[in-house]
Amino acid sequence: MSGASTDPPVSAREADARVAVDVKALQAAGRLEAARERFAELVTRHQRRAARIAFHYLRDAADADEAVQDAFVKAYMHLGTFREELPFEVWFTRILINGCLDRLKARRRRERWIAPPILDSSGNERDAGDYLPSRGPSPEDQVLAEERRAQLNAALAKLPERQRLVFVLSHFEGRSSREVSAMTGLNESTVRVHLFRAIRRLRALLASGAASKASLRGRTNRAAR
Amino acid sequence: MRLVDLIVRSGHLSEQAIVGAVMSGERPAHLDRCDLCAERAVELSRWLDEVRVAGVTVADAAFPAERLAAQQAQILRRLEQLDEPARVIAFPSHARLRREANGHRVAAGWLGVAAAAGLVLGVISGQWSARLNRPVTPAQAVQTPASQPAGEAAVEPARPIDASLLDMDLDSLSVPAFAVIDGMTPRATQVAMVSNGSGGK
Repeated sequence: MSGASTDPPVSAREADARVAVDVKALQAAGRLEAARERFAELVTRHQRRAARIAFHYLRDAADADEAVQDAFVKAYMHLGTFREELPFEVWFTRILINGCLDRLKARRRRERWIAPPILDSSGNERDAGDYLPSRGPSPEDQVLAEERRAQLNAALAKLPERQRLVFVLSHFEGRSSREVSAMTGLNESTVRVHLFRAIRRLRALLASGAASKASLRGRTNRAAR
Repeated sequence: MRLVDLIVRSGHLSEQAIVGAVMSGERPAHLDRCDLCAERAVELSRWLDEVRVAGVTVADAAFPAERLAAQQAQILRRLEQLDEPARVIAFPSHARLRREANGHRVAAGWLGVAAAAGLVLGVISGQWSARLNRPVTPAQAVQTPASQPAGEAAVEPARPIDASLLDMDLDSLSVPAFAVIDGMTPRATQVAMVSNGSGGK
């Protein structure tokens, strides 16, 4: 651990720990407004990352928004239980993931009673990412990139939840197996297995999607001729 | 190099080993010797980069800067509410009483209690009155005129009207101012005697 250093914080982890300790002290002193202001720094620093994780895990922007809010509120409420030897990021991500899991469970319960998921023409479950507004005009490259993103989104949606979570944390967020293990509560070896399976499955899904698109294009070209 | 890679894959790395190498950044020595495996690793690395860019772009497009700012404001609002001590709003008691007195609002529970109390009182008074008004025996019922209440018949059996008693009553009720009219009016006894006499004939 690098807690013995008296230098100003050089790493994000140390900066987080320092802010968390300050917020705890301010809460204890009853200076709640100052505590909130200090905590806002943590929110700013981790908000984007949290939104990405929640969005990929929940596959719904509104749900992800609420999950992120809940996670920050919970983190503020239970900051007293935060131990400085653990990175704040790991502690907070665990709160976020647990919240996302609860939301997924609630969603499943709702879907069991209300309505089946909406499927697109190819039988894939539609999600918020498919309906995002496109940015600006659409030259061919942008269209292709958009198409690739949509394919990836659909492929990600087909991954089992744990595989998707491990993949997002490991790959999108660049976390090590140990960190992902701490965030999710899974064994390190389990994390590695989930990651490998997620990559293999994603590649297979994207390859099959590309192949089917290519064959469709070939057929339409032949029909055009 | 694992033995299984040596036997099954002719010395090439497994897909899992390449994924592990790319994800962890630890480059196995085999990649320096084998162009095929090195090419596989590079291709996987490129694919993963593409996937990451696409995934991050999709998520960031769903959460533009304005949305993140609104989210942060909402978080801080919630924290502020959390920090504020709970307030108990006391409603003035006289206002509540006035409201009830005006009859605008009566608790449903009280309505039920009143209905139940009314029912109980009705049953008890019914029982009580039934006990007081015992049924009259048939013999007494024959003697009782139809116009008299059953309660009086039970206390004192009815008798035929005595003419002298009637007269006595009338005398006792005489008013001096009506003495002349009274003198002109035939007595009931006289009428009775006349009628009896004619009846006897």
